[in-house]
Amino acid sequence: MLSIKNLSASVEGKTILRGIDLEVGAGEVHAIMGPNGSGKSTLASVLAGRDGYEVTGGAVTYRGMDLLDMEPEIRAREGLFLAFQYPVEIPGVTNLYLLKAGLNAIRKHRGEEELDAMDFLKLIKEKAALVDMKQEFLYRAVNEGFSGGEKKRNEILQMALLEPHLGILDETDSGLDIDALRIVAEGVNKLRGADRAIVVVTHYQRLLNHIVPDHVHVLAGGRFIRSGGKELALELEEKGYGWIEEQAA
Amino acid sequence: MNDTVTQYSEQFAALSPVFSEGEPDWMTRQRGAAMDSLRQSGFPGQRDEDWRYMPLRPLTARAFDTDITGEVDDLPLDHWLIPGLESHRFVFVDGVLNDAISSNTGLSPGISVRSLASVLRQGPDALPGVSADESLPGNGFLALNAAFFRDGYVVDLDADLEADSVLEFLFVSAGKGKAGQARNILRLGPNARVKVVERHVSLDGLNALVNTSTRVVLEAGASLDYHLVETMGRGTSMINDVVVDQSRDSNLQIMTATLGGDVVRNNLKVRLNGPGAHCELLGMYAATGRQHVDNHTGVVHAAPHCSSRELYKGVLDKRSRGVFHGRIRVDQGAVKTDADQTNDNLLLSPDAEIDTKPQLEIYADDVKCAHGATVGQLDANALFYLRSRGIDPENARSLLTYGFVNDVLGDVEVEPLRDFLAAELSRRLISHE
Repeated sequence: MLSIKNLSASVEGKTILRGIDLEVGAGEVHAIMGPNGSGKSTLASVLAGRDGYEVTGGAVTYRGMDLLDMEPEIRAREGLFLAFQYPVEIPGVTNLYLLKAGLNAIRKHRGEEELDAMDFLKLIKEKAALVDMKQEFLYRAVNEGFSGGEKKRNEILQMALLEPHLGILDETDSGLDIDALRIVAEGVNKLRGADRAIVVVTHYQRLLNHIVPDHVHVLAGGRFIRSGGKELALELEEKGYGWIEEQAA
Repeated sequence: MNDTVTQYSEQFAALSPVFSEGEPDWMTRQRGAAMDSLRQSGFPGQRDEDWRYMPLRPLTARAFDTDITGEVDDLPLDHWLIPGLESHRFVFVDGVLNDAISSNTGLSPGISVRSLASVLRQGPDALPGVSADESLPGNGFLALNAAFFRDGYVVDLDADLEADSVLEFLFVSAGKGKAGQARNILRLGPNARVKVVERHVSLDGLNALVNTSTRVVLEAGASLDYHLVETMGRGTSMINDVVVDQSRDSNLQIMTATLGGDVVRNNLKVRLNGPGAHCELLGMYAATGRQHVDNHTGVVHAAPHCSSRELYKGVLDKRSRGVFHGRIRVDQGAVKTDADQTNDNLLLSPDAEIDTKPQLEIYADDVKCAHGATVGQLDANALFYLRSRGIDPENARSLLTYGFVNDVLGDVEVEPLRDFLAAELSRRLISHE
């Protein structure tokens, strides 16, 4: 599904990623953990194609394609989805409108027919129920006036609707209280499947109680310093990042 | 006199016998006085404070042809219709009503829509308010209109009449190099209500001028929903002058949407003359290429307990330029005035420019006046957010632009018009050059 080889990247001339290697197969859930400033969000942004990140070395293959050569919208249409750490507010554009525009762009790319308003409404109501989102949120401007939890739920709703092959969740747990965390995690779990891979980027282990990963990778100073199974997350929670950074040094 | 005024002067000498034929003497005198005023004062120039940002050359470097017939073959009328808009439609060609292509039958009793040319031929007493008006035109373009106008609409609504359908006035510029100069009158009796959609369109490359003057009078409790939709093609410029007088408890919503034309100037003046009157001035402008859009608004609070709200939103791309000048005057005694003015702009290109200027003159105590202006760019984060959902950059920009003007669009109650404006906005900003 996703193969990252020796990836380096910088932001404004400052090197952030220093040789990342990662293999993600279909059906797998990977967690990428690390302290603040370790490069977690940079990795997520580089994969989604955000401007301002310069890839200085390495390669990323996604479903047989050179990912780094693709525009962000093409990545999305090919089934890559980034759930934002800070979902953007877009005044004047309803959530419903954004979702429909996104879904139809992706369907068109796949050679499928665009959904009409009726079919779309039926589908989106189904998906909204998955993340326990009230329908009134569909008619409000995108993320405008949403609470932190509502914004993150909205991200998962988009993921549920767009049905990506690869979902990258960038600190989806940040700013969530325990109930919101549970709802978001349940939403993600419902989307797990044999054809879909999920990469969870997080600072804290608590999200991984709800979304249990197959693999855990620890990022520090722009490279993975340790990889393991789900128990690695628990160990980190207990001993802190300092412990593992010392070990790696 | 400069060359242009001389040319108009010659045209006036040749044509005025034609268009004064059958008109009452007072109107012939008014035309003559207007022409004299143009000869004396000429057109405004960049040294005039109110016109300093306007590229006036395209409008005044030469005289446009004022010999108008209003006849036309092969007008692509369907091309200009707003899908789904049900209206009584009156089509003017170069400022002259063309009955043959209008669909204006079946108006309710109590609504009268007439052609100014025909009203003037009904006798000397047909327009008492207008015949008594001896004031001189306030600028060269108004003088030109007053001297040369051929026609226009005269709408009168009886007291308490609530019009059930939209009145649509479609002004088409059709003649190459012509100046279409309509003069319109819109009068609502006490408590009357109506929705008006006035549109200005033209084909590309006409090199034409639209120079329109409209007087609106709202009597006590009347309510007017007035949309000015300017979607002319390239090569047409426009001066649109609207003056509104509001009596007590009357309600005006006026929406000026400028999406087309080369150089467009909207002068809008609203006088709140009776207590409890309310006006809402909405504006939406989008320009690209080398378009210039200039909105001058003036709200005069002449009576106590009136309120005005003004919201203009502009989107400027390429090398286009926008001007917003919003004046609010609160006269002595106009206590409890509540006035609010906002002008927000979105610049899509580093070469686009906006000059925005609020001007408050307050001569009364106990009033509430607020104003604000902003200039911004598309949010790069929002753009990436949309692209990461599969939306291509062009559509993403168009969606964000639509979102930006949406609080003006959202106030347009005529739904087919709202959809039309949204579609025109993205079409013009995306496909232009």
